[in-house]
Amino acid sequence: MIKNHLALLPILIPLTGAMVALLLRKQRRLQAGWTLGTMLTAFAASLWLLAEIWGSGRPAVFQSGGWPAPAGITLVGDMLSALFVVMTQLVMVTGILYALGSRDTVVKYPTFFPLFLTLAAGLTGAMLTGDLFNMFVFAELLVISGTMLTAMSDDRYGAEAAYKYFYISLLASFFMLLAVGCLYVSYGTLNLADLAVRIDTQGARLLLWPGIAFLLVTFMVKSAVFPFHFWQPDFHTAAPTPVSAMLSSVVVKLGVYGFLRMTTLLFVAQAPLIQAVLVGLGVIGVIFGGLSAIGTHNVKRMLAYSTLAQIGFILVGIGWGTPLALAAAIVFAFNHSLIKAAMLMLAGYIASRASIKSAAFEVVTGVGKPLPGAGVLFFVGSLALAGIPPTNGFVSKLLLFNSGVEAARFWALFLIGLASILTLIYTIRAFGRIWWQPPAAGITTKPAGDRLLAPLILIGLVLLLGLWAEPLVGVAYETGLWLGDPAGYVQAVLGG
Amino acid sequence: MELLTALAVGLLFAIGVFQVLRRNVIRSVIGLIILSNGVNLFLLMTGIVDGIDPAYTTATGLRSDALPQALILTAIVISMGGIAFVLSILYIISARYKTADMDEVEGLKN
Repeated sequence: MIKNHLALLPILIPLTGAMVALLLRKQRRLQAGWTLGTMLTAFAASLWLLAEIWGSGRPAVFQSGGWPAPAGITLVGDMLSALFVVMTQLVMVTGILYALGSRDTVVKYPTFFPLFLTLAAGLTGAMLTGDLFNMFVFAELLVISGTMLTAMSDDRYGAEAAYKYFYISLLASFFMLLAVGCLYVSYGTLNLADLAVRIDTQGARLLLWPGIAFLLVTFMVKSAVFPFHFWQPDFHTAAPTPVSAMLSSVVVKLGVYGFLRMTTLLFVAQAPLIQAVLVGLGVIGVIFGGLSAIGTHNVKRMLAYSTLAQIGFILVGIGWGTPLALAAAIVFAFNHSLIKAAMLMLAGYIASRASIKSAAFEVVTGVGKPLPGAGVLFFVGSLALAGIPPTNGFVSKLLLFNSGVEAARFWALFLIGLASILTLIYTIRAFGRIWWQPPAAGITTKPAGDRLLAPLILIGLVLLLGLWAEPLVGVAYETGLWLGDPAGYVQAVLGG
Repeated sequence: MELLTALAVGLLFAIGVFQVLRRNVIRSVIGLIILSNGVNLFLLMTGIVDGIDPAYTTATGLRSDALPQALILTAIVISMGGIAFVLSILYIISARYKTADMDEVEGLKN
């Protein structure tokens, strides 16, 4: 009984915490401390949830109000949801740590920390819910919080980037509503498990394919998959550092989660076509993202394009669809969140030390000379992004390529293997410009800036998960097996 | 009735898409509002089983489904909040650039 209620905690704790944090808006230090405490508690609760599910081998299903599944609102924590929630909340904790040590004015606004918590609640909720419409509601909460955090950024283009993103997101949420309508009119339910059963038994109805297409587009916009990526580099560059580290690492994983659910639970019979689309777009994303990242003149923008490429790798893994490839995609998603959050924080740290607060190459060239500590962290992060041992990036790429060989998909493998060299080129070039080149005339390094604690923790985890990868890989294998058996999920939700 | 509503949904989408593609930012937000109404009307149609009977008017027989109406209620509230937010950002942007033309808002172009 306790176990089923655990699925509620990772959502409820940040949501309640956000309300209390709003009440504490006059006491800034107390509010910041409260936010960190809330997020740590939520992280502990999600770890507990994962441990319980892992231990008992059954999903935790919470039927709110005691109404049984297809009628009531259901929260489902299976291995996939729990693992993604753990990843989200871990990165969110470091984001708050970074915000606590940040010198931006944005973190001093009374609504900054409450919005951060609602961002966490929205993302967690969208991953734990067992109902398509609730996923829409939580995704909207996430989008609105993220946009507000960007709109009040120190960057003077924050409002424009926020407008661009929010506009696209509103359109995406209309698409999601259309998908909800198409699926509801065809099958008469919105509960994911019930929907999966009915689509399986009743076969394809007239509006099934439009529903699939609308849902695909929605998740592609959420994940910034090529060709729906155009808002992402602006948005991730203009956001305040702690927020952009969240947006580019965990928030884009909502789409990844959606694709996993679509191909392994909802549309199992229709999955081959969806997977083919995902592999195609993933390969294009890897190549396009890599080339665009090489062509940028701003570290943050480079990392945002790099997210496009890395999401491409994950999509290719989902598209291959074997249990091994799904496990590889999940490991890749988890590791990418840690690496990308750390790298964006380091980029923000460098920008906070530069003479004007910007991560453009002409401003930050040579700024790293007196900062060898940050240089080491950035170098390890670059290695991880490019997939070189002893980092976790190596583990994820090894698993992905391994699964590609096993699935005998050599063309896609060849293309993404070739494109992953691009990663090495742009990260090492950024490292060289910031830490090796002599600063240009008039470029000085400020004596103080943001604190390095949060990226230090993340890079520590990157190395730890690179040297001791068994636990994560084991959990991901188990998750891949669970995803191969949607009947277990359905049975846990609907009973019987 | 179905045909009429289907035509109305189509018309709302057509106007909405046309307005969204305009350069004037205020018109494009109005396009968003029209699109959201089109989507809501579509959602409402998914619940109508037989003609125009609202939910629970007759004790037996065919009647419309109440769930999509609850969904629309939520969607309306969310899109209202969203559009209010879009308009407020729009206010900041148009005050900064002294224009409502998308092509003249160019801070992000480089």
